[in-house]
Amino acid sequence: MKVGFFVGCNTAFNRPDLEQAVRYAFPALGIELDNLEGQSCCPSWGTMPSVDVVGWCAVGARNHTIAEEKGLDIVTVCGSCYGSLAESKYKMDTHPEIKAQVNEILKDIGREYKGTSNVRLAFYYLYHELGPDKIKEAVKHKLDGLTVALQPGCHTLWPSKVYYDKEEDPFHPKVLKEMCEALGATVGHYTRLIDCCGMGAMRSTDMEKSLKLVEKKLISMKNEVNPDLIVTGCSSCLIQFDTAQELLRSGKKINFEIPVLHIMQVLALCLGADPERVTGLAKTDVRRVVNRILEGL
Amino acid sequence: MSSDQVATGVINLSEGDSSLANEIKELGGEELMECIQCAKCAAACPMVLAGFPFFNKRIIQAIFLGLRDALLDDSSIWACQSCNRCTEVCPREVNPFEIIQAMRRVAIREFALPTLSIEGLKSLYDTGHAVYLAGAGNTRAKVGLPEKPPSTVANPEALKELQAVIRKTALADLGIIPMDESGVKETCEV
Repeated sequence: MKVGFFVGCNTAFNRPDLEQAVRYAFPALGIELDNLEGQSCCPSWGTMPSVDVVGWCAVGARNHTIAEEKGLDIVTVCGSCYGSLAESKYKMDTHPEIKAQVNEILKDIGREYKGTSNVRLAFYYLYHELGPDKIKEAVKHKLDGLTVALQPGCHTLWPSKVYYDKEEDPFHPKVLKEMCEALGATVGHYTRLIDCCGMGAMRSTDMEKSLKLVEKKLISMKNEVNPDLIVTGCSSCLIQFDTAQELLRSGKKINFEIPVLHIMQVLALCLGADPERVTGLAKTDVRRVVNRILEGL
Repeated sequence: MSSDQVATGVINLSEGDSSLANEIKELGGEELMECIQCAKCAAACPMVLAGFPFFNKRIIQAIFLGLRDALLDDSSIWACQSCNRCTEVCPREVNPFEIIQAMRRVAIREFALPTLSIEGLKSLYDTGHAVYLAGAGNTRAKVGLPEKPPSTVANPEALKELQAVIRKTALADLGIIPMDESGVKETCEV
């Protein structure tokens, strides 16, 4: 098995430890990664999608064609890349006139969008292609005894019509939960499970309002689950939960700290990766929980 | 909206701009007129929870009323998370997210866009990444990765391709960011 790894911006530049986790976990599970050499930004929502539909799809399509030429599906760990790429694909596949305009643009660089590669989120890909049981068999370390709270991430769920991998009910997601349970964790439910974390355009526009959302989520998690670890399905959620806690503590909004990791980082650790390489850039203190995972209880 | 209107909360319909709805429909918000203002989208919207004055349902309402300036003078449209809960729950398939994007497209055509969006577009054109951190090479090396990811930043030919694509889009016609051939560097270290 082989897939194209779409690394995106935030993972490559902000959290390359997450990139390293993907580069460790996929081969460890027998899946080869292609670099999709020459890929660019997805493009993210505040750039080309905010200018016009065809321009958005054209930049997205150039990325799609890199995977199409190799006959590979695309995997990513970033919710925004996942959403933007899946949506540009959906627009071109359902609107022939958009696809035609995009291909007119791509002609100049010798490319043509065909629509033959699917866009997959890394953990959905593993869940559907391997299944939780196979993953469970492959791991060296388990999450036994750990209680986790989940942050699935908006773009992993909606709009479900544009995604290849679908939850039965996106308002009651279960894939991330089943992955964590397969690794041995106890997953606690909390009221604000599917709320937005506030990262992204909202954080760029109004930091205070963005922090209010993540504060509500953290307090709901703390009071209802009291987790040892927060596990996210999206790299943007990872950055928000990992960096916002210190700001909220200094603003006297919360008085606790919960370690935060992306599901691919957790999986890489369980598969035997070097913790410095795959979690070394966390701002929250993850050492204790990482040691618990590596040493068992 | 005049200051009197803000003070009283009364909307003067005769001051509305009836061309706004057509512009939205042309810029991707084709399903605008399907909206019945049921507010299911508002019930699902993170912007409501965070307390922004305009959110999906109210943005659509303001478009119906032609309140162009009210929307352009407020930062709300730029705070949309593109989370698409609204698209998921809309019983009329209005695609409220796309209408907010269309309103951004209207704003951009009047050069009413936030500095961060201009910077993101420029960074996308110059490096191939909307988010690009100059010091990331060290961070990447620290976790054992090559200093550059295998993207346009490590591949000048790919960057030229991307720039050729972007120069063929509406962004070039709008002149929001400089994209002269002469300004394009072989490698980009922005």
